[in-house]
Amino acid sequence: MCVGLSARVVRLQSNGTAIVDASGARREISAQLLDNLMPGDYVMVHAGAAIAKITEEDEEEGEAVLGSLF
Amino acid sequence: MSDNKTSVIARAREIIDSYQGDQIRIMEVCGTHTHEIFRLGIRGILPENVKLISGPGCPVCVTPVDFIDQAVCLAMEHNATICTFGDLVRVPGSFGIPASGGQADGKAAKIGSLAAARAAGARIQVVYAPQDAVAYAKEHPDEQVVFLSVGFETTTPSSCLAVQQAKNEGLTNFSILTANKTMPAAYAAMKDSTDAFLYPGHVHAITGTGICEQLAREGTSGVVAGFTAKELMTALAVIVKKTGEGKPYFENCYPRVVRAEGSPAAQRLVEEMMEPCDARWRGIGVLPGSGVKLRPEYADYDARIKFDLPSMEGRENPACRCGEVLQGRCLPSDCKVFGKGCTPEHPIGACMVSGEGACSAFYLYGGDR
Ligand code: SF4
Repeated sequence: MCVGLSARVVRLQSNGTAIVDASGARREISAQLLDNLMPGDYVMVHAGAAIAKITEEDEEEGEAVLGSLF
Repeated sequence: MSDNKTSVIARAREIIDSYQGDQIRIMEVCGTHTHEIFRLGIRGILPENVKLISGPGCPVCVTPVDFIDQAVCLAMEHNATICTFGDLVRVPGSFGIPASGGQADGKAAKIGSLAAARAAGARIQVVYAPQDAVAYAKEHPDEQVVFLSVGFETTTPSSCLAVQQAKNEGLTNFSILTANKTMPAAYAAMKDSTDAFLYPGHVHAITGTGICEQLAREGTSGVVAGFTAKELMTALAVIVKKTGEGKPYFENCYPRVVRAEGSPAAQRLVEEMMEPCDARWRGIGVLPGSGVKLRPEYADYDARIKFDLPSMEGRENPACRCGEVLQGRCLPSDCKVFGKGCTPEHPIGACMVSGEGACSAFYLYGGDR
């Protein structure tokens, strides 16, 4: 039940929700947990709400994290 | 996994494989981590001196027996419609009959789980998000709808949003039965069972990393980890390297999602609507201040108050060793009924129900190695 789903924000709606595209499937989610969300942003969706913005790919992230070790 | 020598996974493996020090016990405290680690076969490729332990991070697994008894009581005695995440439907309630405390003579006393309640005629609806339960309540004004609000910091804000929405829309037939928990109490209870925590990425996407930094200052190490193979291997490599350096540490290995400050909007929402309470963790007991419940201003949406539910003495199946499994004190396969009386089709304990439970992952992916 805790699995997060990454999705792209397609459109923000006036009632605090957003339409997102998750690998081709469109869903309405709550956008109220994030300030300053914009169409085109990638977000992590959990239990029907966007909980965080995603800023890069996991490969770049891994390179940066491992790079900082040495 | 890629063979490309320059890939993140290859570099992480090199770091892990070259570790020569004392054994490191790493505790994952997130059901999705447990599941992904088993699914990806990560335990099998770790050297003998790097051990993974599954801690109490699957919300279904730590939901206490008396919570299931109360949900069954709401469905059977109060004729409420229960809206819930699917995994909770099969979680066993109290063992032995009669079991549901003050309701021992009622219909609920003979029912062991929400699945059994459904078979006996109760309305049990599976939903994917708390907001779906509000939508159901709106479409069914003649039914009293109760959402089973379980989960950690990641899920709690969504339950708050649902209550807020019901309030704004003037719904009087929606409430939530809370068993929401917060992670810091679990970290404190488990910190001596591990050398480093693999902190759950999505919990800290909400809370930020202050608590992890605080724990590092107090001597407890850990890293926030994401969920892909690259993220999990990177996190394990960081643990191995940092542990080898001998000082307590904290590293955010999931910076593409987790920021130091977390989600201030979510924190404000939960703070405004919920207050801390003591919470019972299945198999572990009551941890003071480890839960949250609705504040008195939202009492109309609190199913315990609305239906005047009696507190119940849950009785766990004495054969089940979930409590020890969740504290890393024994392996699922040490339990006498593992894979025999207890399977994902016929779970005896909560850890066998959800795909995120340690016993279920152990069963589905063939044990430790
Ligand atoms: S195998 Fe079943 S009974 Fe044994 S500890 Fe796990 S869930 Fe409990």
